[in-house]
Amino acid sequence: MSLRLLHNHSRGDSAIHRLPAALKLGVALALVLTTVLLPRAQIAALLAVAAVQILIAAASRLPAWFLLRRMLLLEPLVIGVAVLMLFQPGGGHVFAVILLKTNLCLLATVLLSNTTPFTEMLRVLKRLRVPWMFVTTLTLMHRYLFVLVDEAERMRRARAGRTFRRGRRFQWGVLATVLGQLFIRASERAERIYDAMCARGWK
Amino acid sequence: MNAIEIINLKYRYHDGTEALRGVSFRVALGECVALLGPNGSGKSTLLLHLNGILPEKLSGNSAVKILGEPVGGQNIETIRRQVGLVFQDPDDQLFCPTVQEDVAFGPQQLGLAEAEVAARVDKSLAQTGLAGLGRRATHHLSHGEKRRVCLAGVLACEPAILVLDEPTSDLDPRGRREFKALLRQIPATKLIATHDLELAVELCSRTVVLDRGEIVADGATVKLLNDEGLMLAHGLECPHILRHVHPH
Repeated sequence: MSLRLLHNHSRGDSAIHRLPAALKLGVALALVLTTVLLPRAQIAALLAVAAVQILIAAASRLPAWFLLRRMLLLEPLVIGVAVLMLFQPGGGHVFAVILLKTNLCLLATVLLSNTTPFTEMLRVLKRLRVPWMFVTTLTLMHRYLFVLVDEAERMRRARAGRTFRRGRRFQWGVLATVLGQLFIRASERAERIYDAMCARGWK
Repeated sequence: MNAIEIINLKYRYHDGTEALRGVSFRVALGECVALLGPNGSGKSTLLLHLNGILPEKLSGNSAVKILGEPVGGQNIETIRRQVGLVFQDPDDQLFCPTVQEDVAFGPQQLGLAEAEVAARVDKSLAQTGLAGLGRRATHHLSHGEKRRVCLAGVLACEPAILVLDEPTSDLDPRGRREFKALLRQIPATKLIATHDLELAVELCSRTVVLDRGEIVADGATVKLLNDEGLMLAHGLECPHILRHVHPH
């Protein structure tokens, strides 16, 4: 696990970065919906959507290799879903279209999350009157993701510092212990956070 | 009137551990009291009782009185408004994405108007030397800054009583010095649980020593901390600041 995964370019500076978060969220949602709802035969329209996204990517001045890596990271899931299509008659075509569609949706979300800080998106959700319980959960999740990753990294280092045996089975065992510990620590921290919220008048 | 009055407070954790075994003491208004004791002596558990986070089930006849009012289910909002609790681990306390939002959390919960919330946020950020840091993400702050944001978040609720759990642990010497100077400026009644014995000498005229859930000493800080037998018996020591009378 590494902090590199959590790092993103959302605080960069470009014409796209400076646009209001609500607009970007709206456009991303529209792009995803269009992509999903377009019939299979409309290849030209799908390519148009792709062109729009590539223009946005260029205007946002995000490094191409970075976008590519982010996409590749999720590609196994995309292919995993699309590959099922190969088992039906005429599957090759469907497979290609599904692959294209999923990647377009993925690119839209990657672009959104790397041009808009998460906190800004939360603010938009709050303004749109998304149920507060949902927004609060997302806020806390985002806040403590960093703490949790730090904690896991510290535990991994501490373990590595006293690990003298190698062997895959042993390492899996260690991983299981670390995950278990992380879960216990996270739930205890959750209780302390709740206390801290109550102490400042949370109702 | 006493700011805090505790009479025979007992508490047992779910696993059967007896954390507090009949604790009694009073803190007068405006006093600054140090709460000392070894690890696991029950200091944090005691502090959690002061604004009704413990016990889990509040009853009418609480052992803890805040400004003359017993801590109960009915008046819990008033109690929490009066007692500001600063937790030991800043990451537990700073749960909002940005400094500004975190400091605003308390005043918002008090139901204040937006302009008043903003005014309080500015005031407590300025008071804690954090003016201009409002937009920063809480998870990107240094430990010293996190501590100050925690304090700012509590000060924004304007409590009459400030309760701090090891406020200077994990701070570098400069951070410790600055935090102590900050605490000295705050006029509220203060109860500070700490292992920082110099802080006790510098800030608190009175000290209460807790060990294994019981109060073992209560008196003038300088007198108690000079009593080497007492200090060593309870996992503490005489601080150098009291041994060396020459300045250095």
